[in-house]
Amino acid sequence: MSSLVLAQHVTKWYGPRRAVSDVSFAIGQGEIVGLLGPNGSGKSTIFRMLTGYLVPTSGRMEVAGHDVVADSLAVRRVISYVPEDAPLYDHMRVGEFLHFMASLKGSRGAAAKAAVEAAAERLDLTCVMSLLTAKLSRGFRQRVSIAQALLGNPKVLVLDEPTSGLDPHQVIAVRDLIQSLAGSHTVLIASHILSEIEKVASRVMILLDGTLLTADALQERAEETLLRLAAAASEATVRDIVSAVAGVRDVTVEPSAASGTMHYLIRAEPRVAVAADVVAALVEAGVGVSELAEVRPDLERIFLDLTRRASRMAA
Amino acid sequence: MRSFAILLRKEEMALFSSPIAYAVMTVFLLIMGYSFTLTLFISHQPSMVQVFFQMFVLFMLTTPLITMRLLAEERKLRTMEVLLTSPVSEVAIVLAKYVASMSLIVVMLLLSSCYAATLAWFGDPDFGPIYSGYLGLLLFGSALVGTGLLASALTANQVIAALISLSVFLLLWIIDNFGWLLPSPADTLVVNLSLAVHFRPFAVGSIYLSDVGFFLSATLLTLLLTARALARR
Repeated sequence: MSSLVLAQHVTKWYGPRRAVSDVSFAIGQGEIVGLLGPNGSGKSTIFRMLTGYLVPTSGRMEVAGHDVVADSLAVRRVISYVPEDAPLYDHMRVGEFLHFMASLKGSRGAAAKAAVEAAAERLDLTCVMSLLTAKLSRGFRQRVSIAQALLGNPKVLVLDEPTSGLDPHQVIAVRDLIQSLAGSHTVLIASHILSEIEKVASRVMILLDGTLLTADALQERAEETLLRLAAAASEATVRDIVSAVAGVRDVTVEPSAASGTMHYLIRAEPRVAVAADVVAALVEAGVGVSELAEVRPDLERIFLDLTRRASRMAA
Repeated sequence: MRSFAILLRKEEMALFSSPIAYAVMTVFLLIMGYSFTLTLFISHQPSMVQVFFQMFVLFMLTTPLITMRLLAEERKLRTMEVLLTSPVSEVAIVLAKYVASMSLIVVMLLLSSCYAATLAWFGDPDFGPIYSGYLGLLLFGSALVGTGLLASALTANQVIAALISLSVFLLLWIIDNFGWLLPSPADTLVVNLSLAVHFRPFAVGSIYLSDVGFFLSATLLTLLLTARALARR
């Protein structure tokens, strides 16, 4: 798959503060990629550089083969951006705003009208087309902002927290919309809500303090086997026994409400069946096992692991 | 060119849907109406020289109100992100804002032409100084709008943008008073930065290319710097 969006060693300084540090990634045509990170981790800065709003301090970014700095106008012709908090022109009515954006993106006359109507229909905005954008609720503002991004049929859509302020029905509608764009558009979504990203993205990048911790958290998840163990023995004993089993990477203790029984998470090599060996080793050592189950590592766990690891390394 | 026309329409809509434009025009016409009537009754001369000097001062006081929101508001409301990530050049954005603001200056000048019409109706004024005065005000207004636009590009706070413009205008208005105190050739340089020095000949009926060039250069320089400020993000 050829790369439609490319970042190479991108760094951005705001005065003395480094917002993005040596970030590199490549995104192929039709991918839906999530950018996950806590507030202030540099997600919006990366998007602003990618869309030509900010200039990287160093490094290089390309969209559809165009350099975002040297050929910014060409980049802006193929990319659409939904900024966080949906900024709109308050003196315009929704219809006027969408027509204005359609015209800026090169649509004219009947084509612009048709594009605006299609986008309004898709985002369920037909009932508010004659309202001033200043009068809209946060949810409607967000939808108007997404609608303007769909105008001009961009190759790349960049959505910064697209579901913030939406009610659950609207969140599902936007999620379905994003999923329907897969294949025909390349979509980048930033969010700090892990479950949201997990549902729509085919790949998840995790960012912390401006540093990209992984360019594919979902791949990392696939590359690991995770077991949940409940055993009635001291932490040191279980650790010693389980860690000695071939294929086990590490053992961590999970908080547990039940007295006497400790819960552990065992991380093992991918596609290695360690469950039987773990049980055998524990039973042989006389440790009672009340539960052993394979669990699918969720994005939240990967995110927490990566951010903890990064914090430990920084320390 | 097409995106310029679209942006200009949007700017005109924003300007003329805002109460500031009407407040500025009302204040301008009230003060100028009073001033014109008073001057006419005292001097009994069919001349607009005094009126032009009063317009010169009023332009310096009102232009910051017109220009302060142009880019500062876009930055504060973050619509700048929408605009600058659309396929439009920074130059088109700056020019659209400049032309829209100039249209308000032109409307104010057109409305003030009723004073010249009054003079022509009741007397026999010399139209040479009237034409040159209006040309001077147009060029002067253009330089003020350019400077105000640049100030608006430097901050997200409209009040600060207005204060920067006003400070620059007032400084360049009276700078010739200090300029005369300086040794040569610094005096020539500083005196020639004065807005009043370059406007005065227009008001009394003289058009010098150096004065036209001064206001045009100031306009072009400030517009260029504004586009540069937008491009360097």
